[in-house]
Amino acid sequence: MTLKSLSQVDRRLFLRGAGIALALPAFETFGKVSFATAKSGASDEKRAPPKRLACFYMPDGVPMPLQEDPAFQDWSWFPHGEGKDYQLTKCLEPLGAVSENLTVLSGLSHPAARSIHGHSNADQFLTGAATGGHGDYQNSISLDQRYAQFIGDETRIASMVLSTDGGTGTPRGTHTMSFDRSGRAIPAEHKPKRIFDMLFVKQGEDAARRLAVSKSALDDLMEDANNLRRSLSKPDQAKLEEYLQALRDTELKVAKAKRWMDLPIPEANVDHLNLDVTPEDPRNYLQTMFELIYMAFKTDTTRVATYQIGRENGVGVSDYMARAIGFNLTHQLSHQTKEPEGWKNFGSYNRFLAEELCRFAKKLKATPEENQEGNMLDHTLLLFGSASSAFHLSRNYPLVLIGGNRLGFEHNQYLKCGIYPEGGQPAGGAWKGGREPWQKEMNHQERPLGDLFLTMLNRLGVETQSFAGSQAPLDSV
Amino acid sequence: MFEQERFAVRVSSFLCSNPTSLALLLTCLLASVATNASAQNAAVANVAASIDSKEEPPHDLQALKPWGAARSRFLKVEDRTIHTGTPPEPRVDLFRKEIAPVLNKACADCHGVDDEDGRFRIGELNPDLFAGPDVAWWLEILDLISNKEMPPDDGEPLEDEQRTKIVDWLSTELQLASQVRRDAAGQSAFRRMTRYEFNYALQDLLGLSYNFVHDLPPDPINEEGFHNDASSLQMSATQLELYRKLARKALLKTASFGPQPAPVFWSISMSKGVEQSKAKYEADVAKAQRKHADDAEEFSKALEKLKKKYSSSHRGPYFRHLETGLTDRISWSYRGAKHAWATTGKLPEETPSSDVVSILPVQQKWIVELGNRVPDRGDLKIRILASRDEDESPGNPSLRLEFGFQASNNSSASAFVSPNDLVIEAPAGKPQFYEWRIPTSEMPIRNPMRRTGQMGKTPSPSEYLKLYNSSISNGAARIYYIEVSADYATWPTPSHRKLFPSFVTNDESSFARQHLSRFIRSTWRRPATKMELEQKVSLFERLRPVFNTAEETLLEVYATILSSPNFLYLAAGSPKSQHDATLIATRLATFLHCSLPDEQLIGLAQSGELLKPQVLEQETRRLLADSRSRRFAEQFTRQWLGMEMLDYLEVNRKDFPHWDPFLKEAMREEPIAFLQEVLQQNASVLDFLHADYAMINDRLSRHYGIPEVHGSHFRRMEIPERLQRGGLLTQAGLLAMNSDGVHSHPLKRGIWLLSRLLDDPPPPPPPSVPEIDLADPGIAKMTLKERLEDHRNDPACYSCHAKIDPWGVAFENYDAVGSWRSRIKGAEVDASSKLFNGEPLEGMQGLKRYLLQRRQDQFVRAMVSKLATFALGRPLRFEDRAEIDAIAAELRRKGDGLQDAILLLVQSDLFRG
Repeated sequence: MTLKSLSQVDRRLFLRGAGIALALPAFETFGKVSFATAKSGASDEKRAPPKRLACFYMPDGVPMPLQEDPAFQDWSWFPHGEGKDYQLTKCLEPLGAVSENLTVLSGLSHPAARSIHGHSNADQFLTGAATGGHGDYQNSISLDQRYAQFIGDETRIASMVLSTDGGTGTPRGTHTMSFDRSGRAIPAEHKPKRIFDMLFVKQGEDAARRLAVSKSALDDLMEDANNLRRSLSKPDQAKLEEYLQALRDTELKVAKAKRWMDLPIPEANVDHLNLDVTPEDPRNYLQTMFELIYMAFKTDTTRVATYQIGRENGVGVSDYMARAIGFNLTHQLSHQTKEPEGWKNFGSYNRFLAEELCRFAKKLKATPEENQEGNMLDHTLLLFGSASSAFHLSRNYPLVLIGGNRLGFEHNQYLKCGIYPEGGQPAGGAWKGGREPWQKEMNHQERPLGDLFLTMLNRLGVETQSFAGSQAPLDSV
Repeated sequence: MFEQERFAVRVSSFLCSNPTSLALLLTCLLASVATNASAQNAAVANVAASIDSKEEPPHDLQALKPWGAARSRFLKVEDRTIHTGTPPEPRVDLFRKEIAPVLNKACADCHGVDDEDGRFRIGELNPDLFAGPDVAWWLEILDLISNKEMPPDDGEPLEDEQRTKIVDWLSTELQLASQVRRDAAGQSAFRRMTRYEFNYALQDLLGLSYNFVHDLPPDPINEEGFHNDASSLQMSATQLELYRKLARKALLKTASFGPQPAPVFWSISMSKGVEQSKAKYEADVAKAQRKHADDAEEFSKALEKLKKKYSSSHRGPYFRHLETGLTDRISWSYRGAKHAWATTGKLPEETPSSDVVSILPVQQKWIVELGNRVPDRGDLKIRILASRDEDESPGNPSLRLEFGFQASNNSSASAFVSPNDLVIEAPAGKPQFYEWRIPTSEMPIRNPMRRTGQMGKTPSPSEYLKLYNSSISNGAARIYYIEVSADYATWPTPSHRKLFPSFVTNDESSFARQHLSRFIRSTWRRPATKMELEQKVSLFERLRPVFNTAEETLLEVYATILSSPNFLYLAAGSPKSQHDATLIATRLATFLHCSLPDEQLIGLAQSGELLKPQVLEQETRRLLADSRSRRFAEQFTRQWLGMEMLDYLEVNRKDFPHWDPFLKEAMREEPIAFLQEVLQQNASVLDFLHADYAMINDRLSRHYGIPEVHGSHFRRMEIPERLQRGGLLTQAGLLAMNSDGVHSHPLKRGIWLLSRLLDDPPPPPPPSVPEIDLADPGIAKMTLKERLEDHRNDPACYSCHAKIDPWGVAFENYDAVGSWRSRIKGAEVDASSKLFNGEPLEGMQGLKRYLLQRRQDQFVRAMVSKLATFALGRPLRFEDRAEIDAIAAELRRKGDGLQDAILLLVQSDLFRG
């Protein structure tokens, strides 16, 4: 793939008519208003380096054979050892190629969902909300959207939300990782062609129109407010000042959104990509999705992305992902670990995901950060993981952090955040009937995943004290 | 400088609740109004100085009401206006000469220069109440001294005569100071609409009773519990943008552009309902026939047996063949959407008849799956041909409707959508049609897969109705046939016609001008000025090229009108007097309908007629009689009593097996229905303290042990004394919300009573005092009284708790869900306590007795204060004190009717600005 003339155009452009997945920088979504970058189109060098975040979700958990199992050595997902002294197993081995940018974590989970069946927990992976086990629920804002609130108006698109299954899915059967400030699911885009169009094809008369209307309406409201002001007493004028300030803030946001519109969209060549690829060709599909995120980051079209590689519960088209390595249905692999070669089969699938993730990370690492020190991976934080670990168990999330070395992340380590009575490794084993692991009491301690999220947000520049049920920042990453 | 007329001071009451000091107090008060100091000795002739406080109060609580009312201190004061030549001055000299020595003697031991027991020093308080900074302290001193709570028992005793002297001086000074300060301060409560007001206003403007404000964040609740407090209602860019977005969304729901969408129909008959059991039954009969081919008697015996076997009733919903009595359990699964009913091109002309019916037993639910064709706009009309199943059962079955979906094994959700229960009164075998019409846009839960998923695949895109027999009396419903249609009754819709009363002409600008002028009048509660109108017309012209039609353009301008401060902000206190009537109209509508003034009210404001007292009274009565006054009942009751606490209450069924959502729902409604009844009957506000009737439905009656109440609607019931109910204090929901869901909570109940009903909130706990940790096993083990005493023994806690706990202990006969109990864990309930001023309280009866005997005036005044706070949209200030007292006095004279309270308030200077 080649990107033409990227250096000649300002890379941050406004997108019109973004589809369902790409949230427009609608002015109501941002708390922060600054014109610093808007005016500085010519002086790229002086800009602070961009900070990016991408989050990936894999369903179905990971292999966790018992220590005495012969498969333990090779196919336990979590590394052996601890801290700087750790060895990746075959599941994550490919990521060894970026070990200087890699941290594996265990012992983290969201407290509200620890006793809920793993099938039901993808919805809360980035939010930490108590989404429960049945009925309707109330979710909360996801990690990526929290960051997009902060950084979204610095780029043409606030964030991109992708998944293999597309749309929102249903409660506890989510097809998206991203939830807005009201906890509503943001529909994910799943067709590469549409994603490309939204990123690089000029369209969206609608958004332009919408902004023009907003501008006129704001002018009109300003006139109303000023007229009203004149007829008010002093104390009432002070109260109306809040309204006037709200109008002024909104005007700034509209102006900021509008500037993207006057700038051309970067051209991108995708001759080598098949944009009509579907999840039924899983490897190519996965590579295409990663490639599109890379292109969006490279052109600074957005700095925030989520991609749900598959939904939970073994339904939907994403369950075909295992066909990439010759199996039929992905979810079944997690159920068949007691069969001969079961751990190996399941682990091989995990290895496949690690390979593709690594390909993406290496590509970012090979791309120098424009006008900045270091490469793109140094400024991009990747979170990869699942809300279940051992069979349907929503504890001890398998998590990988990659990149962001220049954001302050200490890498090349395996961090055990849980405290186990026997001091050992979290283990699962194959399920052989009876009460499932998720139904059992937890006999060890884990740290809220919110702690890691809080640290991630802080290092991305978001000054917040808490997120997703955090108690204290996780400083050891 | 002050104008003379403004010193027309109405003197009518005081805070003192001690009747013995009344006569002296009055003498002093009335005299003191004249600013001439020598007038203080003038005799006041017409005050009945004698209250026979010795006369025994009646035993019966109902009889205690008139007894207490006749002894109201408010009644003894003539409403009088005294004109004075010069503005009043603070009587600091009098203070120095007569009051200060008494106060110092009584208080300085603890509140003097040396000791710092309290938080102030008595000698350092500024006695100038007109301009001095210590009014808040003086108010507290007045309360404590007049309620005999200070000085404490172990201190220097205060003679009654001395006490009266202090109270006299203080009440008078406070009264006058309130008036003086009121004239000096602005009275504005300029604020934006609350969330619920914005919603109701849109509903009234657009003629649709939808919920338009799902996305708006909740409003802040002020210390007193009100949501409409001007000082806490903020505006931000986020909020403003939401208003615009929601207004536009609401307008789009209201308009119906384009061609009429094609209707969708479902015709659901039970005819195939028992095929399975019929086949099995017939096979079994054939088998029996073969077996008993030669023995007719045996065969008929076997036949009877089989008939019985296949005709049993079931716990859940089931089909029944009317002729043969054969039944079949109704089963349902989301898998493959196999149970979804297909749509039909049109509905059958005649209702299909069938021998098979479905039976829906009480408290059972029946899923009727509709597939993925339920549209997102228009109404879903559900017609149900149904009757009672048996004529003997005492109650009628009642149907409620849920709408929802199940997409996979772990993903399902549904919510109640029926605005009312359908009470099935048709006798068994004589079914009638019952019907709901529900806008599809208002279904809170839809299947997100409905447009993208494939029928038959998982996750399933299908949606369903869930019929629920909500009756708790015996009585299954028999359902013959269901017809569902999704369509528009008329097109364009009536609400569209309301937005665009006339069609577009060639002269689009004049079309716009005409519509905008009308729209602004109803949204801004006044006609647009010429300039404003032209401004909007020019916005229309500017936007016109962006949109396809003039109507769509107009919609955008409407959205702007609805985000204008002229719409969003209420009660602009304009210095120009011609705005007064508009202001009163807005305030009145906001108060009683929580919405905008309607056309008639705007008209009367425009003509100025509304400024006439009799017109204002007529309009107030009209608004109260209108069904929209239900919003006042709901909002005021919920805010006044702090009922969010009930929303948040969680009760474990392990602790209370009979707890269910319907009980909670009924608990939520009871106080509102009760206030509504008091309001509509203009009954005495004292009924809130105690009444011999209640507003209840079937679920609550079961909770209270009242037999033979059928149906979920609320109705008035006389209640015998032995049930220990009546008034607000004994309503289950209010008792439950002041518990922790497991145990009663005397402290919460005491604080609630003091702050919500008596308007005498205790101070917040000092920061150094830790909260009682109920998780601490040592504390958890103690009995309640022990626990309170333990806490009270801490000197830091004592002074506050001694004033709170005794009130709460009186509620102890009611458990955490408000059920009556005489024993706790085997031990007799001890609900006796002693108030801080030494009065003993014997349980709830004792508490009510004390309130009706001694605190009627305080309660009535509190009621007026709460109504006024809600009506004005701001907390009351010291400056409002005189006016509140005047209203309370007049209300007592008129017999304490709730409607009268509102009428008096509306006519007061306080309300009219």
